[in-house]
Order: sequence, then structure tokens, then C-alpha cells
Amino acid sequence: VTTDDPRYGVDVRRRVASLRGAGTLGPAPDVASGRAGDREQGAEVVLTCRVVEQRVADVRFLAFGCPHLLAAASWLTDRLRGAGREELLAWDWREAADALDVPPAKFGRLLTLQDAVRDLARNWPGPPASTV
Amino acid sequence: VSDTVYLDNAATTAVDPRVVAEIIECLGPDGDFANPSSVGHEPGRRARARVEQARAEVAALVGADPSQVIFTSGATEADNLAILGAARFYASRGRHVVTSRTEHPAVLDACRQLEREGFEVTYLKPGADGIVEPAQVEAALRSDTILVSLMHVNNEIGVAQDVGAVGALCRSRGVLFHVDAAQSAGKLPIDVGGDCIDLLALTAHKVHGPKGVGALCMRREPRLGLVPLLHGGGQERGLRSGTVPTHQVVGLGAAFRIAALEMAGDAARIAALRERLWLGLSTLPGVMLNGHPTWRVPGILSIAVDGVEGESLLYALPGLAVSSGSACASTHSEPSYVLRALGRSDRLAQSTLRLSLGRFNTAAEVDYAITAITAAVTRLRAVAPGHDA
Repeated sequence: VTTDDPRYGVDVRRRVASLRGAGTLGPAPDVASGRAGDREQGAEVVLTCRVVEQRVADVRFLAFGCPHLLAAASWLTDRLRGAGREELLAWDWREAADALDVPPAKFGRLLTLQDAVRDLARNWPGPPASTV
Repeated sequence: VSDTVYLDNAATTAVDPRVVAEIIECLGPDGDFANPSSVGHEPGRRARARVEQARAEVAALVGADPSQVIFTSGATEADNLAILGAARFYASRGRHVVTSRTEHPAVLDACRQLEREGFEVTYLKPGADGIVEPAQVEAALRSDTILVSLMHVNNEIGVAQDVGAVGALCRSRGVLFHVDAAQSAGKLPIDVGGDCIDLLALTAHKVHGPKGVGALCMRREPRLGLVPLLHGGGQERGLRSGTVPTHQVVGLGAAFRIAALEMAGDAARIAALRERLWLGLSTLPGVMLNGHPTWRVPGILSIAVDGVEGESLLYALPGLAVSSGSACASTHSEPSYVLRALGRSDRLAQSTLRLSLGRFNTAAEVDYAITAITAAVTRLRAVAPGHDA
């Protein structure tokens, strides 16, 4: 996919072109999943991650939504690598908005991503690191 | 030079080079550039002759007499002049108007203006196929109904209304009948006499003519009254003041003359291209046709694509110039009110593509579109939750 549409920044275009991190990790004891959004509302995200020694070792995303959401989900699969559960719980959508220069009209879509990250933390495999 | 395949002919069309040549004849110092109202000198009379030739060409396309044709800036102005002009002129007879929910904004916004002026407007809901049945119109008519406005071909989904049946109904009840024919003129046969159309809005740029010019064809026998929107020099029998733009009007006339001559061939070829496009895309699971399968203009194919988000789908088609099912602004998009009126969900309305073909499209372009859309849909579905592959 290549486009010169000025509504989409360079990083969004690059991410959508590759969709790096797309897919899902199969069920396993060390794999967690987080889900948020509703296709009828135009944004739905599913994240799966493999946890090794209480850190995210690998992340995959599935997403239904606008190019900004797809790009942010792809970006997130790099961003979350190495993160612990507490970091996931504290992650804020504004980080993706800043990194990808997402316009304000699309901020609501990124909230879906934040909800999916927090759901991922809630489903963290094994005993919780601390009380939620 | 663009490598993009242009499949947005319902938005506007490229001007036919033959039309361009005639327009240019009216622009330069050696051309017929004079004011056609300046009949006191020879250049003015030459320009006047070209304008009247164009008037005859417009009239011929729709079965009218040249005296019925009023030049305007396009179909939007023609719609406004017809609806506001007729309603205001006949307000003493009644203050009720009937139209449909899927009209172009040029009609709907004119009707809303009438509501602000104290008129009542009934907005008919079409069936899921986009068709407004004549019986619906009949049921909506009241003793104080003065005007029915119904588009011939819908600009988003391409379905064609039975304007002949509605026209006959209106004529039998003494109600004026206005038709927005922006998407049908030159593509489907229109006969203002046979179809009992009192007011017909036309535009050039949907049929390979220039932007910025159109016409209102209005009944003359018995004479029909309109309150003008513009006041000034009294051109166009006092109904549309303003210097008549000779080159634009000549372009309109040329486009309509060519369309009349080539309509049968163009319609058959473009309908075949549309069928090729639909056959290619309908093999994709979850692709649905919007609107009636056969009551439609040759060039417009509207499809809802389940399982993909509309903006991402458009984004993934950089080599295609197509329209979405959204009224897109720079920062937001709303689902199409036309598709909503047909009962499509917001999600399916958002994931709708309108592909509209014109005189210059080729089978190779259609095949490219099928390949590009199939690839984009497959890729987006592969990364969407719930994908089974």
C-alpha cells in the first residue's frame, strides 16, 4: 500500500504498508490475550502476548478500524516488548498518538487500543505481580 | 499525469475532447466570446446563435422544446430554482411538498428551506432496494400538495425511479412534478412530455461536459410559474439573471448532443463493464450490491463490503479513484444517509464503495479494479479480529 494522502503521516503510512506484528499467538499457558472495542462502532482490537519471566516477549495484534488504528496497533507490538504487567496497566493512548502524529479526530480509536492493553494486563498469565 | 484508474464518474467526468474543442471556439479573441445578450453587433449575434443552438441540443436530449430550457450554473441551482421557485409561486394553492429521503442535498436542503418558510414536506422512505413506489407517492398526496420532487437516478447507488409512473400520477392530480436528472441525462432516455415532468434539473459535468453549467427544463403548456432566485439583467426570460456564459453553455449543448448520438452504444458498453466489475467482485465473500439489481443506470455500482472498515479500504486503494459510503470530511466521516435509508447498518454503510464508470473507462481498468479491491479486502480481513484463515 502506498499513498500520498496528507491525512496520514509518514509513520502511519509505513506501518500500514507493513502491518508488522499482525496476527495472533496460539493458546498456551504463557500466552495472554486482551480485547476491546466493537466492530459496529468502527474499532476493534485483539492483542495476544507471550510472557517470559514476567515480561512481554512477543506481541501480535488483530484490528478492525481506520488506518491510524491499524498503524498504532502495529506500533504497539514493538512498544510493549519487554514491558511488565504494571507498565501495561499504566500505558496511555497518548503515547501512540504522539509517536504516530494521530489527529485529534482519531483519539477515540486509540482509546480502544488502551482498553485492549489493559485487558491484556488483566489476563496476564500466572499469578498477578501485584493487586490490581 | 496520474496513474490512478478513475472510477468516480458519478462525482464528475472528464470533459470529452470534442466538447473541449467547441468550448475553446468561444473563448479566444477570434472566437464567439461576445455577450450573447449584445445582439446589437455581429459578435454578439454569433454568440447568441451558439447559445440558441445549445438550447436546442439540450431540449432535444429530453424531448423538450428549446423554449423550455433555462440555463443555470448546474443542477444544484436548477433544483433550487425548481423547488423554491415553484413552491413560492404556488404557495397560495397549498404548502405541502413530497420528496424522498434519498434525494441529493440540493433537493433536501431546498426542502428544508421551504420548511423554514412554513411549508410542510413529506420525506418518503424508499424500499431496501432504493425504489420509491408510485403508490407511496400517491398515498402521500394531499389536497394542499403542490409539488413532488423525485430524482431519476440516485447518485450514490445508481437506482432509477419510475418517473413516468410518478409523473402520470402527479399530472392526474394536478400536482407539479420535479425530477433531478443530474445522474441520468444522457445515460437513460428521458422524455419530459411522455413522462409528465414539469421541471427537470440537468447538469453538464456528469456527462463529459464542463462543470459550472446546467439547465432547468420547465413546462410551457400550460405555462408554469416560478419565482426567480436571482435578480438582475433579466436573462433567461427573467428567471435566471446573469450573463449567459457562452462557452459553458456551448459545452453543455455539445456534451448533450454527443450523449444523444452515442447513448445506446455507451450505455451498452458501460453496462457490460459494470457487470464485469460486479461479477469479479461478487466472488468475494461478504460483498453485497446496494440497490435494485436491474432498475439502475449503466455506470454506477455500489457495493457494501462486510468485514473491512471503510476508511482503511479506501486507503488501501491508492491506485483507484472511487467514492466511499461516507460523507467524508477532512477529519471525520458520517455514514451515508442514503444507505441508512435503505436499511444498511452504519458499519456496512461505512464499508461501501461506489464505483462509477464513464465513456473513457476500459475493460483493463475494470480488471485492475477487481484485482486491487480483492487484494485490499483480503489483506484487511486477514488482520481483523474474527478472521478464520
